Amino acid sequence: MNEDGEVGDIDAEFLGEEGKAVSGASRMEAAYGSGDGDDDLTAQVAKTGVVAGTIFDTTYRPWRGELNPRWMRNWSILRHHLLGFVKKGHRPWSIWMKLALFGCLIGSMGDLAMAFLGTVIGDTDLYRLFGASRGNLYGHVLGFFPRNALCFPLIAALLIGGMISEDRRHGTSAIYFSRPIERRDYTAMKFLTVAIVLSILIVGTLAIYYLGDILLRGEGWSWLLDTFPMFLAAALAGFLLVFTYTSIGLALSSVSQGRFFPAVAFLAIFLVSKLLAFLIWQLFERSVIYLISPYDCIAHLGQTMLGISSSYDHPWTWSLVSILIINAIALYVLTSRVSSMEVTRE
Amino acid sequence: MIPDMSQRGDGPEAQAPVQAEAPTVLLDRVSKWYGSIVGLNDVSIAISGGVSGILGMNGAGKSTLFKLLTGKLKPSQGTVRLFGVDPWQSTKPFGRIGFVSESEKLYDWMTGLEFVATMARLHGMTREEAVTESERVIEFVGMSDAMNKRIGKYSKGMRQRIKIAHALVNDPDLIILDEPLQGCDPLARTTIMNVIRELGAQGRTVLVSSHILQEIERITEQIVILHRGRLLALGNLHAIRSMLDQHPHSIRLTCDDPRKISQHLVNDDQVFGLQFETEESLIIKTRNLGEMHARLPALIRQSGIRVTGIDNPDDNLESILQYLTGGES
Repeated sequence: MNEDGEVGDIDAEFLGEEGKAVSGASRMEAAYGSGDGDDDLTAQVAKTGVVAGTIFDTTYRPWRGELNPRWMRNWSILRHHLLGFVKKGHRPWSIWMKLALFGCLIGSMGDLAMAFLGTVIGDTDLYRLFGASRGNLYGHVLGFFPRNALCFPLIAALLIGGMISEDRRHGTSAIYFSRPIERRDYTAMKFLTVAIVLSILIVGTLAIYYLGDILLRGEGWSWLLDTFPMFLAAALAGFLLVFTYTSIGLALSSVSQGRFFPAVAFLAIFLVSKLLAFLIWQLFERSVIYLISPYDCIAHLGQTMLGISSSYDHPWTWSLVSILIINAIALYVLTSRVSSMEVTRE
Repeated sequence: MIPDMSQRGDGPEAQAPVQAEAPTVLLDRVSKWYGSIVGLNDVSIAISGGVSGILGMNGAGKSTLFKLLTGKLKPSQGTVRLFGVDPWQSTKPFGRIGFVSESEKLYDWMTGLEFVATMARLHGMTREEAVTESERVIEFVGMSDAMNKRIGKYSKGMRQRIKIAHALVNDPDLIILDEPLQGCDPLARTTIMNVIRELGAQGRTVLVSSHILQEIERITEQIVILHRGRLLALGNLHAIRSMLDQHPHSIRLTCDDPRKISQHLVNDDQVFGLQFETEESLIIKTRNLGEMHARLPALIRQSGIRVTGIDNPDDNLESILQYLTGGES
């Protein structure tokens, strides 16, 4: 007790002592061995210069600013995912991811490089093979090997691998959902992140290829008028491809808790369905089986849009319906899984 | 079935405005069951302002309560309101809430400052605002020195403090802290307790869960006790203690000679039982804990025995629960 007869901060406090508040502090001091203790006891102490730590007397200075609207919150999610490619402090992109993306970007520009070579050395056959044309615009977006067999699905698989699944596994989606972030915005921003990167890879390189060819050959307005609708059709097919890759990929990411399963399952869906359809077509010579292959459905639509003779013998409308159903199923799985994240709905 | 993506409603801007006069937290006859297991059973609470401790053993319903408040669970029955708004239907209250979950999961690749700033931007702050406000709250929790280190290298106490910082960055009116002291060393505990007390002194509503009575006792006197999903007690800790004082209590004396000191205690009218626990400790049974503690110093002085420790072995949550449930727990 002190001189005024009051209980000091570190003395024992007795329950029920009249007029004294019981804070429990003394018991905590005893529990942690940081109280007065017995004078006879000895203790070993650290040598001088050792910083044991500091207990802070805190003063909270409130912030009374205005929180900004929904689009700014959504932008913060988007930039968090995208800027990790170039800056630290955001969702990190692995070095392998960066290398694969860089390699595929360079590889996607191979046709432009060959067209450039053909022009420079004056080899018209080489230019005809790789220069901008109906078939080559289609091939830039929807050519199967190597673009849709290796490059695009690989990048999509790497992108979607941990996009939602890692939030599921680590529980970091709880960080989003305890803030004024709606689940549809969270899903939309994840979708947009993957779609932007794939769009740069697929449609962005298509635009560079087309523009590069114009500059390379100094083409005139008549050529532009002839080929621009083809370019637009190829770009539209490219966006459809991006949308399908993204929706299927994120659906797989949303049902798993790791990077491996969604990536492998994604590649399996695209490549195995194509292989299976090819084998059945070889046996029965019926192309309708290609309706199970998302790639072939889009390729069929792309051929129709670009006016290329179709390699499928079923109507293009069937492919349209099939790809719509595939995307609807993927989006249903994605939205239902995200709506149940961090939620128990029993 | 169409997925319930509208769980959060049409967005904060489209919701009805938060009611100024509504209690911060309101649960009206709320029950939540998981199949045949009852998580929360007919709980009604209204809390506004100050620090409230949510006490309960594991499985008492603390986390269920917090999940209901943060919109991660839909009540099976009853009404949950934050600032007058249903948190299941609208994200609007979350702009005024800071939530520190029990989960350890953070973005380990980020520095503390980057993490808090990223969270600030999820509230819609600009880059400059986010950094300024992040530095403010990081300073408040005493982490300024380590704010540029990666979270993956933080100790448990530092992680807890950075979690509190990220919950405070939007200047919330309601702060929900799920087991914030769990696993922290004494230094970090004291710092976090200071932070919580300061927030309560600011008039903010702070809900802190724990299963350790002494922890909560150091932070607040307002407690809510949950047990097996039921609300057992709500109110001032002293009032609950005074109820306990009418029932048998134990005081443990640690001393050199328990048998000798017992001779001086045995005739005291507040003592109704003595038990020699070990060669160096004695358990005193009393019906009036406060009165017995008031008399003890004189009795010890009278005995001339050196007493090295006095504590209340049943001054814990289990004992309170046992009393409140009539021994059923």
